Amino acid sequence: MSRSAWSEHDWQLIHDGPQPPALHMALDQVLTDEVAAGRRQPTLRIWEWASPAVVIGRFQSLRNEVDLDAAQRHGIEVVRRISGGGAMFIEPGNTITYSIYAPLSLVEGLSFQESYALMDAWVIAALAELGIEAWYQPLNDIASAAGKIGGAAQMRHAGAVLHHVTMAYDIDAAKMLQVLRIGREKLSDKGTASAAKRVDPLRSQTGLPREAVIQRMIDTFRRLHGLRGDALKPEERARARELAANKFHQRAWTAEVP
Amino acid sequence: MHGEYKMPGGKLVVADLDVHAGKLRHVQISGDFFLEPDRALRDIDAALEGLDASSDEAALAFAIQSALAADVLKYGISPEAIAVAVRRALHEGTQA
Repeated sequence: MSRSAWSEHDWQLIHDGPQPPALHMALDQVLTDEVAAGRRQPTLRIWEWASPAVVIGRFQSLRNEVDLDAAQRHGIEVVRRISGGGAMFIEPGNTITYSIYAPLSLVEGLSFQESYALMDAWVIAALAELGIEAWYQPLNDIASAAGKIGGAAQMRHAGAVLHHVTMAYDIDAAKMLQVLRIGREKLSDKGTASAAKRVDPLRSQTGLPREAVIQRMIDTFRRLHGLRGDALKPEERARARELAANKFHQRAWTAEVP
Repeated sequence: MHGEYKMPGGKLVVADLDVHAGKLRHVQISGDFFLEPDRALRDIDAALEGLDASSDEAALAFAIQSALAADVLKYGISPEAIAVAVRRALHEGTQA
């Protein structure tokens, strides 16, 4: 198999209304599987959040990462995603999250670093058009001079690669620090004094509404790679609902690494 | 017992474990690293379970490396980094 170019694919856009956190987790699994099986064209999905959430990485310890009492007090659902990486604190309207589901051929032969750089390039171009000089910062961050903008996580499964990114549009850093346990060791080689300073949101950097940032991202992706409007198929939605209920809502999964 | 290590240029590796009769028990490695396939994490925990608590970093790293299938992909984590996190957990335990 040789590497494919973005332009060789017929990219589809899914930008649905707000969904609960567990359904987002399930949709990532279902749509990665669908692209792997060749039943779906490569797809960009923009997420809208129906409720606040902490999303922990596949290999993170639930109790080490999350203050579950604080999460419950704030009405924040805790879910585990299928990819590795770190915990994210989500409030509707505060983050911009998207997933790319692509055939593995797009990253064929690339190292992890090269494939993160490849998958992040279009959004860095979109940010540049908004006046933000951002870059891919290994291993999996999107950064600017003012601080971290977002984090990516990638997972290769069967014949597909999932690349999803959460960027901070706005952030309630105080609440985040109540809910997430961010230790000193984690910050040891970042050269920053506090976890709150690690994230610099897009709102302060662009002065634009969140919807305008998302529209720019869509326009940039479309110009660079082509993009057609699409929607979830009924069977994809049904499968995701089933997985949300039977896997992502279940303690067995969320506490799989307790 | 709990130990953490952030490999320079890598991700955070966390070791939670107990020691019973001089052996590592209930070993749980976790962190914000990437591993494929994901079941490799269980292989890592199993490789460490029952090892001598006096094992040095090289011995721990060797046990982990030997347990991982050749096709396991690691990003931001290494057998050596896991070994450091385990040694830190053990060190913290002796101080407590």
